Formats: sequence, C-alpha cells, structure tokens
Amino acid sequence: MSARERPPVLARTDRGFALSLSPVERALLSSIPAQLTEALAVVGESDEQLPGGLRRLFPAAYPTDASAEANYVSLVRADLVEHHRNALAVLARTASATRLTDDEAEAWLAALNDLRIVMGASLGVTEEMVEPSPDDSRYAEWLCYDYLTYLESLVVDSLAELLPRTPPTADGATPDDPWGDPPGGLRWDGTPVPRDL
Amino acid sequence: MVDVEPATRDDLGVDRPWLVIVWNDPVNLMSYVTYVFQKLFGYSFAKATRLMLDVHRKGRAVVASGPRERAELDVARLHRHGLWATLEHQS
Repeated sequence: MSARERPPVLARTDRGFALSLSPVERALLSSIPAQLTEALAVVGESDEQLPGGLRRLFPAAYPTDASAEANYVSLVRADLVEHHRNALAVLARTASATRLTDDEAEAWLAALNDLRIVMGASLGVTEEMVEPSPDDSRYAEWLCYDYLTYLESLVVDSLAELLPRTPPTADGATPDDPWGDPPGGLRWDGTPVPRDL
Repeated sequence: MVDVEPATRDDLGVDRPWLVIVWNDPVNLMSYVTYVFQKLFGYSFAKATRLMLDVHRKGRAVVASGPRERAELDVARLHRHGLWATLEHQS
C-alpha cells in the first residue's frame, strides 16, 4: 500500500478512535514500553540512583529549596511513578487494538511522551539536532524516537479536537483565567497589571 | 477585571503569589505543550499557544500563579504530563 492510500492512523468515530497501524508498528509499540516500565519499578524518593533519562521524568518542583523539594517528592512521587506505569501498560496492552477509547488515547499520549522524554535524554536530543548518519551508533534509537514523535503528533492533534472550544471575547482578547484574575496583580505572563487598566 | 484594593489582597495573605513556571526543553512537541496548557488550565487555543511560544522563545513562562497549595498542585499536574515545571515565590 502506498503512503497515499493509507487510512488515517487515528480516526474519530462515535465510540472513541479507530486505530490503523501496520503489524511492524504494533509490534514495536507493544514491546517498547517494557524497558521503561521495568526501570520505573526501582524509582523511589531519592533521585541519586536515577539514570539521566529517567530523572527527566521527575523534574524538581523546588530546584533551589532542598527541604521543600523533599516534601514535594514525598507527596507526589509515588503517584507520579504509578501514573507513568499505567500509561505504559495501556500502550502495551492496546498496541494491537483496532479501537481506542478517549481514555486509552490519552494514555497513549502520556506513554509516547514519556518514552520520547527518556529516549530524547539518552540520545542527547537538542532543538537543532539533525538526523544522525546510518553508521552512527545512535541511529536505530533515533529512528525509533523519530517514529514516536510522528505518532505522538498525530495523537495530540486527535485529542486536541476533543477540547472544548473557548469562545473568543468581543475585543479578541483571550478569556480570563478560569479562577478569575490571578492574585497579586499579575497577568498571565507574570508581569504586573497596570494600575489604570 | 475585579476592582480589588491592594490592602484587600494583603488581608488575604496572597500579596506575593507563587508562580508556576514552565521551562523550555527540546523534546516536548509544541502542539503537545499547547494541548496540555489548554487541558489543564482551560486556556483558549490562542492563550495556550502564546504561552507555549513564550516557553519556546524565551526559555520559560509563567503559566499560572496563586496561593502555594494551588501552584504546587499545578506543578504536579504539569509533571504528570512530562513538562519541566517549577515553583517560585514572587519576589
């Protein structure tokens, strides 16, 4: 089948999404989460034993305040690990499905993003990075990363269709924050609200 | 915009809000970051895109602000989505 005749990877239906992938893609997607799932099994509250790529999945909330950070980690780390593991499990389990529910598509997005974050860190991806040459030792991993990027962008676009439409305001400005004006007289970008506004 | 005197804000103890900051990284897709801002904060596509571009071009952007508990919850939600988010007390 030529690329042009290929049906869309994800097509919106009245019951979630129809999923169309080749057997090679499905095989990749069912096997690839295992390694990260296994790596996540040993993640505790200390970041020191985390390999570099994995650490990127657990950014510091308080990079300059060790005691606040330790408190934050004790509150959220276990849930965060569980969240990543669940998403990877859904991807592996539904890699051969022909339909995805909205929740499963959301889990695919999370899992694909997690995998790309870890692979991207291991590959040393930068915004200016060009494709490594085929004799580069990173080439196979890069191809996989590149494929996951392609797939993730399709999943994002499909899920974005489900977001509620926010009507533009009369003057074309974006609506206020859902909780009203931010306290402290700050606008969305952190700059002070002018007094005479 | 609600007309609130600075004194009232002080009474509420929220005169110095906590800022939720998202930092640029080379892996997260621009469309993904925009989607996450819309989904988590209910922002319009235009506002989410503007914030995403700020992150991309300036290296960081304040995406929300408020009391510490809410800001910390927002950071945790952003971390669940793989975004590089931190908290800062506005000086």
